[in-house]
Amino acid sequence: MKKKALSLLLASAMVASMAACGGGSTPAESSSSAPAESSAQASSEVAEEPYVLNEINITVDGTLTATVDNGQKEFNEQLNEAISERAGYDVVVNIEQLDHSTYGDAIGRKMVSNDLPDAMIMNASMFREYSTTGILWDMADAYDNAEFQSRITLPAINENLKDSQGHLYGFTPAYGNGCVTYVKQTWLDAVGMKIEDIKTFDDYYAMLKAFHEQDPDGNGTTGDTYGVVAAGFANTGEAPYINYMPEFWQGAYPYILQDENGTWYDGVQTDATKEALKRLRQGYVDQVIDPETLTATTKIAREKFFSNEQSGSSGAFTYWAGTWYQTLTDNMKKNEVEGDLVQLAPIQEIKDTWGGYLNREAPVWVIIDDGDGDDRKEQAVFSLLLDSMLDGDRIQTLWTYGAEDVHWSTKAEEFKTDEGTDKEKAYSYADGEFHLKQSPNDKNTLWKKNHIDNALVISPLTNGYASNSELAEAGNAFFSQNCVDAPVSPASATLTDEGANIVDAINVLISSVVVDGVDVDTAMDTYVSKAGATVEAALAELNAQ
Amino acid sequence: MTVLLLGVPIGQDSCFTREVKDLILFYEDVGKEEDGMSKKKVMTSTGVEVRHKPLGLRIWNNWGYYLMFLPVLIFVIIMHYWPMLGIRYSFYNYRPVGDKVWVGMENFVRMFAEDAFWTSFKNTLILSIVKLIITTLSSVVVSVFLNEMGNLMAKKTLQTIIYLPHFMSWAVVASIFSLILSPSSTGLVNGMLREWGVIGQQEYIYFLADKAWWQPIFYIINIWKETGWGTIIFLATLSGINPELYEAADIDGATRMQKIYYVTMPALSNTIMTVLILNLAKIMNMFESVFVLYNSAVYDVSDVVSTYIYRQTFVSKMPNYGYTTAVGLFKSFVGCILVLGCNWLSKKIRGRGII
Amino acid sequence: MAKEKVAYKKPKTKITAFAVINYIVFILIGLLILVPIWKVLVDSFNRVGVYQFRLWPHDFTVDGYLTIINTALLYKPFINSVVTTLLGTLLGLVLSTLGGYVLIQFEMPGRNFLAYFLLFTMIFSGGMIPEYLVMRQLGLVNNMWILVFKHGMNVYNLVLMRNFFEGVPSSLYEAAKIDGCSPMGIFFKIVLPLSKAALASIGLMFAVTVWNDYSTVQIYITDPNQVNFQYKLRSMIMAGDTPTTSYNVSQTTLYNAGIIAAILPFMVLYPFLQKYFVTGVNIGAVKE
Repeated sequence: MKKKALSLLLASAMVASMAACGGGSTPAESSSSAPAESSAQASSEVAEEPYVLNEINITVDGTLTATVDNGQKEFNEQLNEAISERAGYDVVVNIEQLDHSTYGDAIGRKMVSNDLPDAMIMNASMFREYSTTGILWDMADAYDNAEFQSRITLPAINENLKDSQGHLYGFTPAYGNGCVTYVKQTWLDAVGMKIEDIKTFDDYYAMLKAFHEQDPDGNGTTGDTYGVVAAGFANTGEAPYINYMPEFWQGAYPYILQDENGTWYDGVQTDATKEALKRLRQGYVDQVIDPETLTATTKIAREKFFSNEQSGSSGAFTYWAGTWYQTLTDNMKKNEVEGDLVQLAPIQEIKDTWGGYLNREAPVWVIIDDGDGDDRKEQAVFSLLLDSMLDGDRIQTLWTYGAEDVHWSTKAEEFKTDEGTDKEKAYSYADGEFHLKQSPNDKNTLWKKNHIDNALVISPLTNGYASNSELAEAGNAFFSQNCVDAPVSPASATLTDEGANIVDAINVLISSVVVDGVDVDTAMDTYVSKAGATVEAALAELNAQ
Repeated sequence: MTVLLLGVPIGQDSCFTREVKDLILFYEDVGKEEDGMSKKKVMTSTGVEVRHKPLGLRIWNNWGYYLMFLPVLIFVIIMHYWPMLGIRYSFYNYRPVGDKVWVGMENFVRMFAEDAFWTSFKNTLILSIVKLIITTLSSVVVSVFLNEMGNLMAKKTLQTIIYLPHFMSWAVVASIFSLILSPSSTGLVNGMLREWGVIGQQEYIYFLADKAWWQPIFYIINIWKETGWGTIIFLATLSGINPELYEAADIDGATRMQKIYYVTMPALSNTIMTVLILNLAKIMNMFESVFVLYNSAVYDVSDVVSTYIYRQTFVSKMPNYGYTTAVGLFKSFVGCILVLGCNWLSKKIRGRGII
Repeated sequence: MAKEKVAYKKPKTKITAFAVINYIVFILIGLLILVPIWKVLVDSFNRVGVYQFRLWPHDFTVDGYLTIINTALLYKPFINSVVTTLLGTLLGLVLSTLGGYVLIQFEMPGRNFLAYFLLFTMIFSGGMIPEYLVMRQLGLVNNMWILVFKHGMNVYNLVLMRNFFEGVPSSLYEAAKIDGCSPMGIFFKIVLPLSKAALASIGLMFAVTVWNDYSTVQIYITDPNQVNFQYKLRSMIMAGDTPTTSYNVSQTTLYNAGIIAAILPFMVLYPFLQKYFVTGVNIGAVKE
């Protein structure tokens, strides 16, 4: 027994001694000495020599539609070539594309792992939260001196991204776009309604109810269809949180926002939010909202909407305007779902509160500050990657439409989609005529766009290449007539540290009222007890700014 | 993640498989004094002399073994001991950006003040203990009746079937059940319930997002996955019951149920106790099975300590590693106490420790 | 299980009510286990997802499987799974045989200490976050090698291996030692050849663990090129992260095909290897 105890003791002593000697050489200490060292280096060198950056690592979400399965290799090759040509030396862009649905979480994990690229895409909420951390590079000077400045037609959006001290931590090449409500025409016909008649929430609700109760898919079973489906009752992953269910939320906004005087307040603890939660609860009970809305991601929601199995689907779906109008329609066609989609104008309650559908804050490109006190690398990333992105010509075309002769072409060609079926459609183009080709991964649909939407870009293409999608154009026109800017997302240190807990509490609030049927006031009390203090702290910080 | 189960089927030495005995040997000789072990070596030709050689020489004689152990030692130090140094972070405010700041016990204070932490702690205890009890019970029942099955072929076939789910990962099991339990039109269970009229044509139960249903469903999935595998150990015990006991019962005119009650169950009780004690030691480790099945709607009833740590670290925008390390340390600490407590309990009840 | 031969044989009696009920109960249990798996299998061949339980696909298609085989975002994770499982099993066997063998060298000074040094790691750990920070320093974050290293060093399996070795009659070692065999020589010439069953059994444990691991990937890996199939499967089903393809196949079909692909390797091998799995447990293991 003595030996046993001794051995245990020895083992733990060994651990302790390792702890002691390990303590001296941990990376934290070495990292704190690193900046001093390199900045000393930087100052001793003459910084005039042009900085050569041969490799740029970028992390992107699903908005780069040229995915690995969809011609990314060719896009990347042509991008490297074009950027190298512009720079005058070899540059390689390494693209890391993460799963779109979990992008925010994945970036969080990358942040924890210190495995950050040179530049990446962030949505507005993420951007606000990270902009207080000091890991993003202030690109205000770079932006002001950018080559594309002379061509910018819509300067306001990036100016608005600057904070009160004039720092610019993110750059967007295009407007953010927003969501409009699409409705299946065949379902409207089946229940005998017209889209023009849907003017108020009551009309809208009656339509959803009819979709649920009147067998709009005509399969003989009533009740197996829903009114509307969305990715979450509120999309707490990205501002504006209400944009997938604007009719139910109306003027409510379940997060921190500014009133007309610029004072920040908690939009959750308002009567408007309580009313909205009650409406959602009613919709959930009446089953006009697909119950899977609770857990669905955007991808699941839209797959359900245009699924080849229309039982279980929904008649209305609020989703991105413009290109997605075309994409949703194409997918319905591909899945042999009859009929077109029509766009629903904002209902009266939305017009009375916001004024229209919300135009979200645009996702931005950010450059990671490597913290070495030397801006040359970050400046090079900006010039090579972001400045060139709006060159109006070759590189902008790559980002807008994808790779030449893969996604688009100016060569004479003829091709058919859905060849051999009754949906067969023939396309024919003359030499020199810009046109989009078939999608690399699906020969039956036309390619639409790559990362930048030409209809939303802040500095247009100078080569005149324009997409030939009628629906996308109609969709963009419809949206711009019916949209207002979304509220600005808050940025404060407390929100950066604790924002995830607030969002958790909001999620619990929404699901407990909508799904579990907890009384709104009780649930609100729970929310306040969970997140109230943090929200207060954040508001105090925000209003002191 | 793993805790030893040694000396599987309890006190009936006669029926041990040889391997089981071998396993126990290890723990016995780890506990033995070096002399005791050398005594064992007396049986060999050189053992006695070895013992009297000077230490330096003995080390020299065994250099080959030390060399062979080196890779293991390196891996253990890197993968297990090095991370232990990190527990000092629990006294710091340590974020991805900025310097580490010593904050003393602040992280622990915050932890004990946090509702979400206590919810997760409570759920960890409830989920793992209830799960442990009901999966053990179901394993016992299934193995007792499986043991009564006369046809060897049928028995083997059934064993093959019920072991099957154990080899599926939690990711797969969660995927299968989220499809089957889905409230959508393709969900099997809701479809059946509607067809049988248990719920109305328009109704559904959202099993995995309903606070009232999540825990029961979690237990059911655990039963489905682990019952079969759990029977192995009880079947081993049952196969070792002295046949004379049954014969004696037959002579006494006992019915089948009486035999189960008076012969089979007492023989199993010790094994059941062993299984319970051994698994009690690792109840703090629950992570993957919950992680793949839970969602934000049911955090209240499903969040466990490990998933809480995960979210606080990897979902938070600017996590405080210090705080999450502190929660992890508390978890390890409770786990450690449970292991030692179970060890004590095990000694008390079985006369043998588990470590 | 050989011991069944010597176990108590029930007297041959007529079919009792008990036996009948017993059989019925077990057929039901068997069905309960099999129905979910069968449902997934059938649906993976069905073009359109339905809730009904069917014995055979009614609108047969293999497009779900073709999508997996032909889509880089799906087959890459599968290959990663195969590679990490093979390497992880190999490393696991190397470390556990070496360690297990050394731990039965009773005359080796410090043996007890080393045993406790290993056992301590099973009682106490640094926790998720310190482990993460160390792996980050080792460059194992966002790197599928983490699966190999994390599972390759498994103290529990090492102890099991050690117990197998101890079952090898020590007279064999002694004889070899007298013949002048080096420790390595004995290890390769005597111990390993006698432990084939143990190698198979413990190797399988390693393989199952690595193949089935999901949480390590969830914690350590964000790069889509480094994830394993379990992770991809879950993100497909829970987040709908399926690539668009020209295959006209419903989401449900693709999900089900993915599940089958994830369990296929072990389901195919399992009936043949069952005895090794069971041996592994019967030497005293209950594994989580």
